[in-house]
Amino acid sequence: MYPDPDRPRRIGLIDLALIAALAACVVFAWFRVSEVLVYRWDWGFLPQVLFRRDESSGWWEPNVLLEGLLTTIRLSIWAMLLASLLGLMLGIMATLKRLLPRLVSLAYVGLIRNVPPLVFIFVFYFFISSQIIPALGVDTWARELGPAGRSAVNLILGPPELLENLISGVLCLAMFEAAYISEIVRAGINAVPASQTEAARSLGLRPLLVFRLVVLPQALRAVTPPMANQFILLVKNSSIVSLISVQELTFIGTEIAVSTGRRFETWIVVAAMYFVLSYGLALLFARMERRARRAYAL
Amino acid sequence: MRLLGCLAGFALAAVLAIAPSTGWAADTKQSLAAESVIETIKKRGVLKVGMSTFVPWAMRDKNGELIGFEIDVAKKVAADMEVEVEFVPTAWDGIIPALLAGKFDVIIGGMSITPSRNLTVNFTRPYANSSLGVMANKELAGALSWPEGYNASDVTLVCRRGSTPCVYIQDKFPKATLRQFDDQGQTLQEVLNGNAHAMISSQPLPAFTIYDNPEVVFAATEEKIDPGNEAFALRKGDPDALNFFSNWILVHRSNGWLEERHKYWFGGRPWADQVAN
Repeated sequence: MYPDPDRPRRIGLIDLALIAALAACVVFAWFRVSEVLVYRWDWGFLPQVLFRRDESSGWWEPNVLLEGLLTTIRLSIWAMLLASLLGLMLGIMATLKRLLPRLVSLAYVGLIRNVPPLVFIFVFYFFISSQIIPALGVDTWARELGPAGRSAVNLILGPPELLENLISGVLCLAMFEAAYISEIVRAGINAVPASQTEAARSLGLRPLLVFRLVVLPQALRAVTPPMANQFILLVKNSSIVSLISVQELTFIGTEIAVSTGRRFETWIVVAAMYFVLSYGLALLFARMERRARRAYAL
Repeated sequence: MRLLGCLAGFALAAVLAIAPSTGWAADTKQSLAAESVIETIKKRGVLKVGMSTFVPWAMRDKNGELIGFEIDVAKKVAADMEVEVEFVPTAWDGIIPALLAGKFDVIIGGMSITPSRNLTVNFTRPYANSSLGVMANKELAGALSWPEGYNASDVTLVCRRGSTPCVYIQDKFPKATLRQFDDQGQTLQEVLNGNAHAMISSQPLPAFTIYDNPEVVFAATEEKIDPGNEAFALRKGDPDALNFFSNWILVHRSNGWLEERHKYWFGGRPWADQVAN
């Protein structure tokens, strides 16, 4: 999934041979494709959709495609935060002895995890969030913001006019991913040996403190790799909220592909952007894991 | 005295019985007018328009702004209502559900009227009638008269396989030789190369190709073939809004504004340098 932190980084003969073979495969595939596919490649549109020149100040500003990338980043970060919170809560609830919290968590996970994401998003958006979010008055609030408020909202949440839409997208994604995160957290907590709890109890710690100081830190450290996996999935899954017209990378990609008629080029660029995001996240988590290992000398 | 009391009682009962009913009728009318999306737009000061990107109806220009035929239309509607316009780019698959869920006030998205769609949404009168276009080779077909001249065995017509123009050709030009291609680009190429007399496809592709190659090909006819009916779509149960938008279209059809804009966007590509490509 991502680079193993303990592996020495050196390129040997076998690696070189492998790389050469891979490159040969790519070149061969490329020639096959260009033989079958009569397509005139033209990347000239790319700088134009990435940047635009602001007439008044003469500065270069991000154009639609970069705006889409920024929206995907905003969407992912907020959804990660919300999904982690909700998932942590549900995961802890699933390990409690009481029946009610366990049932709640079980029902939530069972319901969300067994429904296709596309269906979930469609149902959630049109039946639930269409009722709740307008009632909160977010749209009117965003429209009546002062200039300072507007630019603040613009920075962390994107254009105020699209706020309602973004919130729907974040909620959809977070609720969906929370079900998976909850299972990861539950597994992590269950994996902490019972002897740890017993030892802590024998030291006279109260149950809540046992959980907070002994069980949870070990559980969270153990689940870092699957969590990284889940977050990367979340970034890529964020593309399905293009269905409900959140103006993120995939949605903008569709618009640009249609407007310019350069379909392959657009999608290759969009894919590369997702790759950079996901791989960046993978590297970040690998780093976190390395640090945790060093700190606890595991 | 008792009679009087009785009468008074009757009168009171009658008033009570009638008053609410007349009151309700007035209320219904008033609330129908007050709940109209027109009032919502006026109050908000913003017309929210649902649309989807499709050349040349709506597309992104170099600055990332939306341009196109229906963008012009929506801006003009908003200007005439004295409100701001806000576009809500929406995935085409979800555009009708989004309208029903109230994500925007009206769809101005080149949506053609079909009976099945009309069961779910209301349509105004059409603001555009996009049709099929005929692109003919000047050298081969320059002397042929439309449409009789094309119905001859030595005339070759091309179309994309499985598209409606093929049915149209088979129906109207049974004597002509029909050649079908899987790719639209090939049909254009056949006429440009002089291997076929004419090709038929939905506009604006023939018009754009003629605009780009005026010395080789020409439009065999200016008549509208198989015109569709593109209209604004609205939520059901809103007679005021339907009346307003329909009559807006009527007014701008009569004064020629819609036709002039349609010609600008569909007749050729004078706007090509605004779009990133």
